[in-house]
Amino acid sequence: MERHNFHRELEQLKLTIYKMAALARQSFDNACKAYLHRDDDIAQAIIDGDREINRIELEIDRQSLRLLALEQPMARDLRMIVGIMRISNDLERIADQSVNIAERTLFLCQHPPLENVPAMEALIDISKKMFAMAVTSFRDLDAVAAKQIPALDDQADEYTMQVLKGLIEVMAASSPGFEKRVLKMRRSIQTIIISRCLERIADMSTNIAEHVVFIAEGVNLKHIQKL
Amino acid sequence: MTDTIKFAVKNLDFYYGDFKALDRIGIEVSEKQATALIGPSGCGKSTFLRCLNRMNDLIPGTRVDGEILLDGGNIHDPGVDVVHLRRKVGMVFQKPNPFPKTIFENVAYGLRVNGVKNKATLRQSVEKSLMDAALFDEVKDRLHQSALGLSGGQQQRLCIARALAVKPDVLLMDEPASALDPIATQKIEDLIHQLKTYYTIIIVTHNMQQAARVSDVTAFFYMGRLIETGDTETLFTRPKLKQTEDYITGRFG
Ligand SMILES: Nc1ncnc2c1ncn2[C@@H]1O[C@H](COP(=O)(O)OP(=O)(O)O)[C@@H](O)[C@H]1O
Ligand SMILES: [Mg+2]
Repeated sequence: MERHNFHRELEQLKLTIYKMAALARQSFDNACKAYLHRDDDIAQAIIDGDREINRIELEIDRQSLRLLALEQPMARDLRMIVGIMRISNDLERIADQSVNIAERTLFLCQHPPLENVPAMEALIDISKKMFAMAVTSFRDLDAVAAKQIPALDDQADEYTMQVLKGLIEVMAASSPGFEKRVLKMRRSIQTIIISRCLERIADMSTNIAEHVVFIAEGVNLKHIQKL
Repeated sequence: MTDTIKFAVKNLDFYYGDFKALDRIGIEVSEKQATALIGPSGCGKSTFLRCLNRMNDLIPGTRVDGEILLDGGNIHDPGVDVVHLRRKVGMVFQKPNPFPKTIFENVAYGLRVNGVKNKATLRQSVEKSLMDAALFDEVKDRLHQSALGLSGGQQQRLCIARALAVKPDVLLMDEPASALDPIATQKIEDLIHQLKTYYTIIIVTHNMQQAARVSDVTAFFYMGRLIETGDTETLFTRPKLKQTEDYITGRFG
């Protein structure tokens, strides 16, 4: 009872989600680049590119449901398909957060740069690293690598707090003129929203890591505190 | 769920002449659960099933080593009455095999053999067995017509009723639905769910999805060995051994 056709289709499904992961990474990396370099062309390209990621998510849903219904997969094949459905959900939300970052960036690009908050770059670095690790651990089905990701999430949360503190100080520092103060607050709040997006992406990278462990080992790490 | 052990099998070897068909099988089968035996064709599932009520005794040149304890008693002990054993451990086969008699007589047969003569008792038992086999409503108006006029699925449920009539503890089923259409198969599967409230069920099936649907525990056999036993949910979602994984995901077999 070898199931060549089914396994071919499962490989196809994997290729589809690898492609989605690559696009989501590109979108997020570009969002970071657009923010750091104040590049509104890149920001706009991210917003335009999101459609394709949404389309692939629907495609993965359709393929997965079809395999579940028609092929009744078992064991690691079953876990792979369920895991792919969960991961595609997280990838789609990461792409949405990237769009969110791009939209804020478009606003920020129209105004002079804000005082530098060093924790922001640290937050960008760690969330990029976590997402990259999550995608790689999925490709390699490497539970050991995946298990290292949740520990980084505390660091990401810490940087997010530091960004918030830093920007509160920026807002509190008095500027001459009401208009200027309002504009500074608006830019600060947009930047705080970006930091929040980054923190969410770190969370969703942690989710992906948990799905990888589920696929590889069949155990659910979710809500098991601290690895 | 109960943990009472119905069958405890230890170090069971079985030979057809020189051919060793079962190799050191060890398993405990819990009472009032459905246990499914899966594995590729020829791996020894039927042979193992037939060991449990000594049906293999009927095949010349066979030999058994090891222990099979039923409720703690060894079924190979000299004192064991094989007829009594087979009454306690009933069997349903792949092809429905009703006797060429009426529906009523098919079910009454075992009771008559056991010396039940009272008409009212017979009728009550036959009706109860047909109800338990989820067949009564379909045949109540033609109990005295030939069983051979029933559909395949009905015949199979009749055979189940016949097995139930003598009040067994255990029901062995060897691919009971493999000759049936999907609707008849569905009825047998539903029936297994109901029966395991009262009976210990051991079912051989080549259909993995069926094993997954009907059983509480699944045992995977391969080349005469019992490779892995586990609760069905675990075995089909995260088996321990790669050999099991490869088989149930269709990577060999
Ligand atoms: N009556 C028999 N005489 C000799 N060999 C048999 C007999 N019945 C089964 N075998 C052999 O024993 C092995 C196990 O058979 P069986 O128990 O029917 O497997 P399964 O039910 O898993 O398909 C097979 O190799 C089969 O050829
Ligand atoms: Mg067989």
